[in-house]
Amino acid sequence: MKRVGFLLAAFFIFSLFPISTASAQVPVRMRVIQASNVGHNIDPSLKDVHHELGSLFSFTSYRLLREENVSLSQNHPVTITAHPGRFLEVNLVGLQRDAAKLRIRVIREGKDILDTQVRLSPGRTVLIGGPRHGEGVVIYAVSARF
Amino acid sequence: MKNSCSSVATLLEKYFDQEVTDEERSLAEGHLQDCPACRDALESMEELRTLVRVPVEKAVQKEDFPWVWQKIEKEIRLQKKQTWWQSLRSWLDVTPLLKRKVWIPAVAAAVVSLFISTQIIFKETPSYPDGSVVEYVESQSDNVMVYQLEEPKVTVIWLFEGPEEEGTTT
Repeated sequence: MKRVGFLLAAFFIFSLFPISTASAQVPVRMRVIQASNVGHNIDPSLKDVHHELGSLFSFTSYRLLREENVSLSQNHPVTITAHPGRFLEVNLVGLQRDAAKLRIRVIREGKDILDTQVRLSPGRTVLIGGPRHGEGVVIYAVSARF
Repeated sequence: MKNSCSSVATLLEKYFDQEVTDEERSLAEGHLQDCPACRDALESMEELRTLVRVPVEKAVQKEDFPWVWQKIEKEIRLQKKQTWWQSLRSWLDVTPLLKRKVWIPAVAAAVVSLFISTQIIFKETPSYPDGSVVEYVESQSDNVMVYQLEEPKVTVIWLFEGPEEEGTTT
């Protein structure tokens, strides 16, 4: 009888760990930015990435179209409408000590125009750009905070 | 000179208990040679001792004197102020549960659970240097360029939707 109790206790201990890792959540910030060479306007809400954008791209104007802050759970993808006809899907596929592994898809008319997997450490931002929007392009900025 | 049984009776008990002097021993042995009644009395004493000794020895064997002594030692140690380590060792020494070696599978299970949980937690958590951020990138329709900076910590994935887009990055 004591052995049965002991095995049950051990099973309980084992079962705790997968639950704790599976239920981990990672706060992810997703921003949709329109970049163009029309005017010289920098959206005030993009101050934190203005320097990065300016050092990487030659656009003169940056405007925040949309911002979403979500808590991602493992294998529970979140989809946002990036801009008309395009969707941005972000899925937490792994959590490491110093990085969150994200699968990011940009979907247009049911097709993956981009399917990538990245490891985001705290403080790192992934910028996905290129899709045309109006007189400029769209840049998706994805960063994880944990 | 032949001694009477009544005068030797007390001496016989001392002789049986091996508490006699040399002189008394020779006196008693001399009497026993000539007196069958006293020899019978001596044999009866031996039989009686055997009857008493056997059950007593069995009872002693059943008793766990080390266990009793450990309890006494523990009580003595409690009189002094013990460190936590001494208390633990004392508990380990005395606890009947541990004497039955239940702790062996318990410790083994704890070690196994620790090992497995470590594997689960760190299975996908190797400590990577902040090197390659993009593990893979695919596009069904467009060309893709990956550009990575360490300062600032930015990774750029650029989609070339058309030929006219190629001039947009620096």
